[in-house]
Amino acid sequence: MSSEAALIAAAKKGSATAFTDLVRTYREGLLRFLLTRAASYADAEDALQDTLINAFRYLHSYDPRWRFSTWLYRIAINNVSSLRPADTLELGDLSDESSDPLQHCIAASDRENLWQCARRRLSDDVYTAMWLRYVEDMSVNDISTVLDRSVSWTKVNLLRGRKTLDAELNKDATDDKSKAYG
Amino acid sequence: MDNLAKQLRDDAERIECTVSEELDERIRASLHGITPEAVAPPRPRSKSFSFWFASSLTGVAAAVTIIAIVNLQDPEPVPGPVDVTPALLNLPTIQWHVETAVLTTPLEQEIENLQSDLKKAEEAVKQDIDRLF
Repeated sequence: MSSEAALIAAAKKGSATAFTDLVRTYREGLLRFLLTRAASYADAEDALQDTLINAFRYLHSYDPRWRFSTWLYRIAINNVSSLRPADTLELGDLSDESSDPLQHCIAASDRENLWQCARRRLSDDVYTAMWLRYVEDMSVNDISTVLDRSVSWTKVNLLRGRKTLDAELNKDATDDKSKAYG
Repeated sequence: MDNLAKQLRDDAERIECTVSEELDERIRASLHGITPEAVAPPRPRSKSFSFWFASSLTGVAAAVTIIAIVNLQDPEPVPGPVDVTPALLNLPTIQWHVETAVLTTPLEQEIENLQSDLKKAEEAVKQDIDRLF
């Protein structure tokens, strides 16, 4: 039995310590993801706390055929969806950048962070699919499970997301070149 | 890994966030404060063979009883044949004296023939009706 399976078994019996150890490796990734979807850093932290509490409470419903991270993300996405509208950022509507929590967490760079751009250009589900694919390295099957979408929907929308962001990336590169040549 | 995938991964890593000690404490306290829900109740065991056998027997017995009750009842009297009025039987049969169109002629000619046949038939029917009443 792997250490993760052992921790899950112990947590299922009610051990909060085992559960804390179990989710330790996933917490920061989840917080980072929630930060890109919440209206403030505090909301992202609250969403993380709710996600972990719900996961512990309903651990008995966890199906070991899934990856544990897949299951956690599914809960996190449900939590984000259930936040009050004022607590979530409407993707594509980031006119006031000063209130964007992501803005404060991104290390200074000479170009815009692609995830900020993705938030403006992609829908919620496509954004999440892209995140799960390129940050969490999830398989298409796992992503479709997390999003409760078909595998073909996931593939098509990952491709669309890629095309959109690729165009942005190339546009940035062209802008840089034109600046360089005056 | 292609350029876009690499860029996306790098940019995600550039989002600086850590679970603060305060948040860690908060989560830990919350988790210790709750108890996970009990394992989902097991599904009821499937019924035994004797249950299904007894059910089948009951069903068969009920069906036999209903069939017996239905068949042992006195049959309802079948209504007899309706009396035909003798006057109606004496009505003269209508004679159709209509020439049929020759089907080998062209269609237009056939239509004309059919129409004339129809007229003749109508007149014959009228005559017969006048004769009867």
